[in-house]
Formats: sequence, C-alpha cells, structure tokens
Amino acid sequence: MISRRRFLKSSAGALAGTSAAFLERPPAFAQKRELTFLTFNHFVPASDDELRRQAEVFAKQAGVTVRVDTIAGPQLFAKRAAQATSQSGHDLIVTGAADPFLYEQQLVDMGDLVAYLGDRYGGWYSFASQTCQTSSGWRAVPWFWVAFPGCYNEAHFKRAGLQAPKTWDDLLKAGKILKKQGNPVGIAISHCTDANISFWSILWCHGGKVLETDGKTPAINSDKAAQVVEWYKDLYANAMEPEVLSWDNASNNRFLLSGKGSWIHNAISPYVAAVAKSMPIADEINHHASPAGPGGIHCATTVNSLAIWKFSKNVSLAKDFIKFLFQKESYNSFITGGSGFNQPPLKSFAEHPIWASNLKYAMLPKEADYVHEQGWPAKPNAAVQLIVVNFVLPDIVAKAINGMPTKRALAWGEDQVKLALQGKLRTEGKG
Amino acid sequence: MAVSQRALEATGLPRLGRLARVREWWEQEHVFGYSLIVPALALLVGLVAYPFGMAIYFSLSDYWVGSPGEFVGLQNFRDIVGNEMFQQTVYNSFVFSIIAVVFKTVLGVWLAMLLFRDFRFKRLIRGAVLLPWVIPTALSVLAWGWMFDSLYSVVNWTAIHLGLINPPGPNWLGMTSYAMTAVIAVNVWRGLPFFAIIVLAGLVSIPREYYEAAEVDGAGSWGRFRNVTLPLLKPVLAVVILFSTIFTFSDFNIVQVLTRGGPVNTTHLFATLAYQIGLTGGNLGQGAAVSLFLFPMLAAIVFIQLRYIRRE
Amino acid sequence: MNVGVRSRGARIRSAVFGYANMMPFLAFALFPFYYMVITSLKKDAELYSLKSVPFLIQTGVITDHYRYLFFKTEFLTWVKNSLIISVTATSVSLVIAILAGYSLARLRFRGVGAFGTAVFITYLVPPTLLFLPLSQVVVWLGISDTIWALIVTYPTFLVPFSTWLLMGYFRTIPREVEECALVDGASRMQTLVRIVLPMAVPGIVCVTLFGFTLTWNEFTYALTFVSQTANKTAVVGVTADLIRGDIYYWGSLMAGAVVASLPIVVIYVWFLDYYVSGLTAGAVKG
Repeated sequence: MISRRRFLKSSAGALAGTSAAFLERPPAFAQKRELTFLTFNHFVPASDDELRRQAEVFAKQAGVTVRVDTIAGPQLFAKRAAQATSQSGHDLIVTGAADPFLYEQQLVDMGDLVAYLGDRYGGWYSFASQTCQTSSGWRAVPWFWVAFPGCYNEAHFKRAGLQAPKTWDDLLKAGKILKKQGNPVGIAISHCTDANISFWSILWCHGGKVLETDGKTPAINSDKAAQVVEWYKDLYANAMEPEVLSWDNASNNRFLLSGKGSWIHNAISPYVAAVAKSMPIADEINHHASPAGPGGIHCATTVNSLAIWKFSKNVSLAKDFIKFLFQKESYNSFITGGSGFNQPPLKSFAEHPIWASNLKYAMLPKEADYVHEQGWPAKPNAAVQLIVVNFVLPDIVAKAINGMPTKRALAWGEDQVKLALQGKLRTEGKG
Repeated sequence: MAVSQRALEATGLPRLGRLARVREWWEQEHVFGYSLIVPALALLVGLVAYPFGMAIYFSLSDYWVGSPGEFVGLQNFRDIVGNEMFQQTVYNSFVFSIIAVVFKTVLGVWLAMLLFRDFRFKRLIRGAVLLPWVIPTALSVLAWGWMFDSLYSVVNWTAIHLGLINPPGPNWLGMTSYAMTAVIAVNVWRGLPFFAIIVLAGLVSIPREYYEAAEVDGAGSWGRFRNVTLPLLKPVLAVVILFSTIFTFSDFNIVQVLTRGGPVNTTHLFATLAYQIGLTGGNLGQGAAVSLFLFPMLAAIVFIQLRYIRRE
Repeated sequence: MNVGVRSRGARIRSAVFGYANMMPFLAFALFPFYYMVITSLKKDAELYSLKSVPFLIQTGVITDHYRYLFFKTEFLTWVKNSLIISVTATSVSLVIAILAGYSLARLRFRGVGAFGTAVFITYLVPPTLLFLPLSQVVVWLGISDTIWALIVTYPTFLVPFSTWLLMGYFRTIPREVEECALVDGASRMQTLVRIVLPMAVPGIVCVTLFGFTLTWNEFTYALTFVSQTANKTAVVGVTADLIRGDIYYWGSLMAGAVVASLPIVVIYVWFLDYYVSGLTAGAVKG
C-alpha cells in the first residue's frame, strides 16, 4: 500500500513537472517572439534553402525567431483544415486555388499590404490578384506562380525533323510521328494536378470553358469541349501510350527524364532536377511556350499565395515578414534560388536576369500574358475547387477513351459540375 | 479477509477506521469493477465520443472547411446518394472488401496450416511472413507504387522476361480492372499476416487428441481438416473475419497512394472519397456523410456477430 | 499435420511439400521489402535507366541514399520521437487496458456487456475525419504541436483493441486461483497485480507488440497534430521531406522505409512465440 501511495505521489510529481516543462517555455524563448510559417516542400529544394536563409536574416533584423515548416504539398489540405477547426497553428500559411475563398472568414485582410507592394513593384498581374481577392477584400498576397510550358526533348524532335509545336494541332501531328519513332508524347489523363492543368489549358485554347464568368452556370457541355475530347482521343490513340491513364504528378517527369518521352506539359522541374543531378539528358531538354489553339493562347497556372490566420498573435509581424520577402533583393534571390521556377506575380520582378541568362527559360515570364488560374473565366470559388479535386475534367476524357461516346461523357461531366455548384450555392452568402 | 471483514461489519461489531472503510468500500465487486473502467471510459468519452459526435454533426450540417454551417438534416446524405461518383464508390468498396477478405481467409488458413508444422528456421520464417503487416503502411505502399510504376514496373519487367505477357504489359494503375486487382493485391499482401497469425494461434489451441482420435477413425488429411480443424477454427475465423472486414472497408492508404481513386473513380473507397470531398474539396459536411454512410450497417453486423461469438 | 507415427518417407515428403508450399507465400511477403532494400542501394542512374534489370544492382552498391537520409534530414530525431511516443503511448494504453479488460472479463456489475460492446464499436468509427474535431481537443489540452499530442491521442485506438484482447486472455485464467488469493486475505488489487498479471504475460506481450506497431505506423494524427520538423515521427518525416512536389527521392525514401521498419521487425522476431500464444488465448477465446 505504502509503495503504491509513494508511486502515485511520485508519478503525480513527474506529471506536473513535465507539463510545466512544456507549458512554460524556457525563459530564453519566452523573450523572443516566434513567427511560424507553413509551406509545402518546394519542387526545387534549393528554393526552400533560400527561403530559410531569408527567414533567418529577417529574424535577426526583427529580433525574433522565424520557424519555417515544410510538408509535402498534398498534406496541406488536412493541415489547413485542422488549424482552422482548432483555431491554432502557424501564423502564416501558404494558400492556393480556392483557399482564400474557402477560408475567407478565417484569414486576415491583406488590402494594405497588397496596395503597398503593388505600388512599389509595377502592379499585380490580374490573374494573380483574382485568386486572392474575395468579395470581402484581399485574403492573401500572391507569392509566386508556376509556368506550364511545353517541356520537350529537342534531340528526339530533331531526329524526326520536327520543330517545337506552336499549337495543340502541331503537337498532335508531331506526336504521331514521334510515337512511331519510339518517343511518344505525354499528357496525364488521370487523378493528378497536371491532368487538370493541361485540360483547362487545352479547353481554353479551343474557346471552351467549364463555368461562365458568374461562377454559377455550367458551360462544359459544348461543341468546343467536344472538339477537345476528340482531340484527346486522337492524341491518346496515336501519339501517347496507355501509361498516361495512371500518371501521378511525378510520372511525367520520369517519363521525360528516362529519355523515352519526347514532350510533356509541365513546370520546368524536370529540367531543373536534371541540371541539379548533372544528368546528361539536361542538354537535350528544352522548353517552349504552352501551345495555342483556334481560340487563342491560354494556359492554366497555379498561383501560390501567402495568408495569415485571424487567430494569429503575430499579424503585423507576419505582414512585415511578407514585406521583407518582397524586397527587391530578397525576391530576386528567391527567383535565383528556385532556378527560375518561381514566377513573380508583380510585374517589375519579371525583368530578372535569370530568364535572359538561360535561353531555355526565355519564354517563361511571357506566359504571364496568357495564364489564368483554374476556373477562369470564373473566380476559383468552392465549386471550382470541387471540380478540380474530384478530377471531373480528366475523367471526362478517360471515359471517352474507354469507349463512352463523347456527348455522353460531357453530359456526365456537366452533371458533376452541377453537383459541385449545388454544394457551393448553399454556402453562398456566408461567403 | 475481505469476506470476513464484510461479515464482521454486517454483525455491527468493531468499527473500522476511515481509511479501512474506504478500502472496504472499494473491495466491493461492483465498485472495484467500475473504478477499473474509469480511465478507459474517460479516454473514450473525451477523445472518441466527442470527436465522433462532432463528425456526426458535420454530416448533418452545411459545414465547409473554414466556415461552420447550419443544420441541414439529411441533405448531405441525399446529395451523395444521388451522385454517380458515390454510387461507384459503394460498388467499389464492396467488390474490394469482399474479394480481399475472401482471399485473405482462404490464403490465411492455408498459410497458418503451413506455419503450424515443425520446420527449420521456424521463428525466422514466421517473422518473415509477418513482415508486410508490421512495416509502416504509408511507406510500404509507396514501394508498391514504385513496383507498379507505368515506366519502371518490376512486375511487368519480370512477366515480360518470363514470356508471360507481351511488352509493355498491363498498365496496372491506369486500367479499371487491373487497378482494382492491384489495390486488392496490396491489401491482401498487407492483411494476410494478421489473418495467418491469428488462425495459427487458433490452431495451436486445438488439442492434439482430437487429431489422434480422427486418425484412429481413419480420417485422411482432408478429413482431419474438414472434421476437426475447420469446426474448431470457426470462432477464431469469425473474429478475424469481423476485424478484417472492418479494416478493409475503412482502408485509405493503399488507394490514396496508388491511384487516388482513379482511373475514373473505379477504385475509390469510402475513406478516400470522404477525404477528397471533405478535405481537399473543402465540403466537410458531405465528406463526413460519405465516411459515416456505412456506420449503421457495420454496427448492426458487429452487434449480431458479437452476440454469435459470445454464445459460442 | 505431423501427428502420429508415420514412415520416414512420408515425413520427408510432407516436409518437402511444406517448404514448396511456403515458397510462394514467402516470395509474396518478402519481395516488396527486398525491392525496397535494393532500390535504396542503387545509383540513381541505374534506378532510372530503362535498360537495367530492376531487381538486381548492376552498377555497384552505394550508400548515398542512406547518407542523405541520416545527414541531410533529421531522420535520427524522427526515429527518437517515434520511439518515445510509441513506448509511452503503448505503456499508458496497456495499463488502462489491463484495468478495463480485467474488470470487464472478471467482475460482475451492471453495464459490463454494454461497455464491452461500446469498446468494440469504437473500431467502427471512421477515422478519416475524426482528426479534425480531435485537433480541437488537442488544442484545448494545450499540447498541440508537441509529441504529447500524439502520446495522448494514440490510446484512443490502442485501448479498445487491447482491452478486447486482454478480456479474452483474462477469461482463460482459472477463476479458482483468484478466489484462493482473495480468501487468503489479498485485496482485489493485489490479486490482480500479483496473481493475475504474471499469468497473463503472453497476452500482455502480445498487446504491447500490437500497440507498438500501430503507434509506430500511425500517419494521420502524426501529420496533423505536429508540424515542427523536430517533433515529427519517422513515418511522417520520411514522406513529408522526401516527396517534393513532382520529384520523389526514391532511393532515400526507400532507405527511410527500410530503417523505419527495422526496429519493429526485430522486436517481432524476438517475441514471436509470446505473440502467438498471447493471441491464442486472447483472440481465440475472446
């Protein structure tokens, strides 16, 4: 009995001790404020190193500590939802697509900061501001966007006597020749981000859209969309291999880097990785502007933005940090650190020397003239988010490829779009 | 002593000290019984019941990530039932679970019988067979993804070089039936050891005399299996099938890593669809409805099964 | 079944049959693990070459991927965190489950049956979205973003199974032993600790192994309740740091998988006999 009582006493003591240890931080920390920032693992690792370096510089200047946590991109959804539910977590988080809209009530207004930065650095591209500007104001600051050029193996194209494609029809023609040569092209038709990006791009270039500008009216079931599906079917049968049906975001990179593939629609990460690992294939890879179509030239992009939770206790510090990240010097080294992957949403940063220094990057900043966030011409609202994450668009194509008549596949897609809108309309008004 | 003290008190003889009285009170069977389950009860109420209640509330409300919603009754359930994607998911889940559990049961019993024998390196081999079940799923499934890769698939490479298939071979994760086969195979791979080892435990507990008796009656090995092993394994099998069915129905990692529900939603399971709609899509209410859809049915099955097991 | 008296020829035939049958199972179980190991030892150039033989290493074994894992990431910290979390959460759950399991298996009071069923039903609660409200609770407790968040929440899925398994085990211990102890003047708690527990060792080992495995492998809570690199667990750390957008570090990823699996594999091989006998009584007679 005695021993048990003593045990209880000592364990209670131990418990109290440990809880005290992690409730009260050691005094050295308590004096310094800590700013925390959650972002995804950058596709180009060196870019994260640069970000951490800048965070440290800022920390020293401001006399605080800055903690940058990075996790795998897809894990962010669960993380953001958990932080919003529990009203606790990082001060600053990376957002994208519909996040500023979905979390509108939870995020701090950024209007002042956006105006300040816009005045200083040549103004924001409208496609970038669209993704952060909700009906109640700016809920995030555009951070960087990702260009999706055509990434191709120049050697394969030369061997076939072909030029880099200027239009999607050029690509189809070239692909047919290249496939015979043993070097098919590849556009993902599966449950992955790249598959969505490519479909939006091709659809827009053919003059189609998924939603009308109001963001409430389905527009996917059109003749133009039918043309796109037919184009996909032709490309799949004669210029690609069935592997595109199972691709994830990493598969097309491997496809190009293995030397088998001749063309993919992707960010420049395969080239950057090939250079970083000094793979010989780096010399053969080049980029060209995303192809055009009868409806002009358009390309989908993802705009990554920075947002501050309302529950944060460091709102003004976080804003200072964002301001610091956008100082000319910082942002320029951020572009260099990411080897040209990080495209600036502010016009004056587009004159960075990196794009002139390597001809393979030359077209990248010009993509700003014709990129849109997914959902365009509608804003990236909750319905767009559902259409994107449910992979409705690539599934329309996959259904058609599996033998469903194009009209029926599009009707199915229209049903799915309507379902996504239903969910959104019920939450409208709450914004 | 406990008994005798109680007897003493009943006769109203010497009065006990306060501490002793507390101890006496605690020695009563029901008091002691309740007090032992208090920690477990507190844990389950605080950390399971509350979140579960909240999840039910999600499913009955118009809740989006970042914006708490109003009560909407069964609207979310009505919405998902009408959605073709969800209907497909229900179908997938049953196909996936039934096939996987059948395979695990048959192969599990077979493997358990093999492991039951006396052989060299017994411990090592038993350990090796357990491996798929003990290594972290989140990582082992990645390895499977790499094995089924469209470009570098070792499965296809082997089959091609053995002359079994023509190059390039099936695109495992891109074609409907192959993708389902692949996710089922990985699920069986992972779940089989759990089955085998519990059935093995069941085999160990069967008294040897039964077999000897059967042998004396002239039963062959099939006869012994049918008349002795199988009937005696029944209760174990009931338990393990029950557990496995629950685990299989709620599988998440395998599909999320390998196919993300593709191709065209033909491998989506309840958990992956709930995650997709509720978290990546932000519609928590519908996501919760998807994940809770089967709960009443499973609960009923478990209730019946447990009664059956207890009666056995 | 090698029971009874049989000829030597028959025994050999049976052994050969046994091994021959075991081979496909072993290959099926081990091949992915083997593939993880060789992938982690291969040069990138060979790994991504379409001409190489995928399940051999032809251009030399390298340890770069392991070096990257150990020196360029905080892998050792993650393993340490995983160990602390798994050991603590498993021990706490074990104590709770022993108490509850004994009570439910042995003592008679109103509500035993209902509580036993409730424990089981907990298993049916779909975990996909549970972590959201649970993250609220974690914040209320003031332990978010510390390893305590996991130590406190892991028992939610350990206790039900452990209790249930131990209930089965306690039922196999003859009642008379306890009654003797009680008559001899031992208190109920003493009876549990000194008489019942020593007899339940296989069951306890089994539950411990089970708990350790589940906590070691847990993913969702570990991902959402903890964000600091220094507080991550091994499984989350490896996937969070080595998958970079559209580039997978396959070599290091597989190296991480191999190293993160080893502790559990060793423990299992070591305690396997206990495990089987623990299950024999626990699950079988439950």
